[in-house]
Amino acid sequence: MSQRKKLSILGLSMPASFLLVICFVFPLGYILVTTLAEDGPEYYIKFLTDPFYLKVLWRTVWISLVCTGVSLLFGYPTAYFLARTRSRMKNMLLIVTIFPFLVSAVVRAYGWQVILGKRGIVNQFLMAVGLVHKPLVILNTWMAVVIGMVHLLIPYMILSIAGVIQNIDPNVEYASYSLGCNKRETFWKVIFPLSAPGIISGCILVFTLSITSFVTPQLLGGAKFVMMSQLVDSQINTVFNLSFAAAISYILLFIILLFQFLANWSTKGIMNRVGGGGKRA
Amino acid sequence: MRDLRKPGWVSIVLSAFTFLFLLFPLVIIIFASFSPTQILKFPPQSFSLQWYENIFTSSSKFIQGLIYSLEIGAVATVVDIALGVMACLAVSRYTFKGRQALTVFFTSPMFVPSITFGFVLLRIFTRMHGVSAFIQILTGHVVIILPYIIRNTLAIMSGFDWNLEDASASLGADPVYTFFHVTLPLVSPGITAGALLAFLYSFDEAVVARLLHGINFNTLPVIIMNYMTFDFDPTVAAISSILIVASLLLMIVVERVIGLDVFLKS
Repeated sequence: MSQRKKLSILGLSMPASFLLVICFVFPLGYILVTTLAEDGPEYYIKFLTDPFYLKVLWRTVWISLVCTGVSLLFGYPTAYFLARTRSRMKNMLLIVTIFPFLVSAVVRAYGWQVILGKRGIVNQFLMAVGLVHKPLVILNTWMAVVIGMVHLLIPYMILSIAGVIQNIDPNVEYASYSLGCNKRETFWKVIFPLSAPGIISGCILVFTLSITSFVTPQLLGGAKFVMMSQLVDSQINTVFNLSFAAAISYILLFIILLFQFLANWSTKGIMNRVGGGGKRA
Repeated sequence: MRDLRKPGWVSIVLSAFTFLFLLFPLVIIIFASFSPTQILKFPPQSFSLQWYENIFTSSSKFIQGLIYSLEIGAVATVVDIALGVMACLAVSRYTFKGRQALTVFFTSPMFVPSITFGFVLLRIFTRMHGVSAFIQILTGHVVIILPYIIRNTLAIMSGFDWNLEDASASLGADPVYTFFHVTLPLVSPGITAGALLAFLYSFDEAVVARLLHGINFNTLPVIIMNYMTFDFDPTVAAISSILIVASLLLMIVVERVIGLDVFLKS
């Protein structure tokens, strides 16, 4: 039996493992080793000592933090609403939340270009009303990137949190009320802490996806607002410096892994205390 | 007691704002696609279908790109359903040492930036010579979308009662029959949700597809992106509107067939 179990596990996990080793782990390792062998750490040092590149890195990190914060601020109440409403519109609103997921980032960035552009909807409106005389520059600034990215990523936050809130045992809340807490106290002392696993996994997901995003900053930030992924792209397609592209690629990968590790490690205590909620990013 | 669990007005106001924010650009795109002028004017004065015509006549081969995208998405999804469901059976039916590690390994492509992975594949394929762009992009997508199928399938398998398989076996069914007649029907909503997300991820993916494109081989998102860098006319709005409406229809079908709760569980 045990022998058969081993064979089953091996047989079932073999195809996916095989694919990942050949097409994923091997390429990542091979290119890392060969570029380091050819160029040494030269380009890594170049990136880490040049203020221009460090500024791009810093910009990428703070934009991602802002996006995560804004997504949480609006995503949490939305998730709470979705998890708790008994409105007949619930399914329709769930569609509204999930449906933008299915629309490509390119398409959504285009929508924001039409809205935020120099002759876009926002500027047409502001000028017609007479609030401004010259069109505002919103496109190709951090604002456009944040708006576009929050639009792209907030559904992840909402779904992560709504799933957890939906699973909170109603009796826990009733217990809180029967012990004399009012609605607000119950929210902050019971529901909010119990939804921590959803908040944590949502934030990790949104932050990771923002820091690696390419399409949205490329189309809404452009050359005036460059983030890490665009830096790699321009080294490949415009500057043709593949060695430097490799170095930046692996630095970005390293940052993501470090962040994932730190996030999991630092939230372990919270996850264990509230029972994990069963979900991880 | 019941009304105590109802959402308060803060949550109602902020969520109403969020829902409008989510819909706003999509609605604007649909308006722009019917615009008679290059720049969308509000309120629209008249109505034109010229940008829809332009999809078919433009030198950017939108339709060809659409076909490539559908092909790659379909093949990658089918391959990954097979690989993913098998992998999920291994880690959720049995308990063994290293199970957690194996699960993390199966979802690991999620943690690698697309640009890094795309770059690495580009270097490998350049060294290999003669691999078609179709195979290159397909390889990338098969890896990238695997975690989506695995996560959704695992989520539903974690609530599956494996005793049912033993019951089936004790009634004389062989493992293959049990899988297709007992296990699969019960876990299929999770697989469907995962497959749907995975297919759409591949269909919309522009980073890896852009790096690995061939001379005459661009997927639809890449063509749209390239078009946007040189032209700013509503042809993109027209093709986007078609994609938006298609996604919406798909969503409604999913809601009717498997329900939307699966998305809250993954």
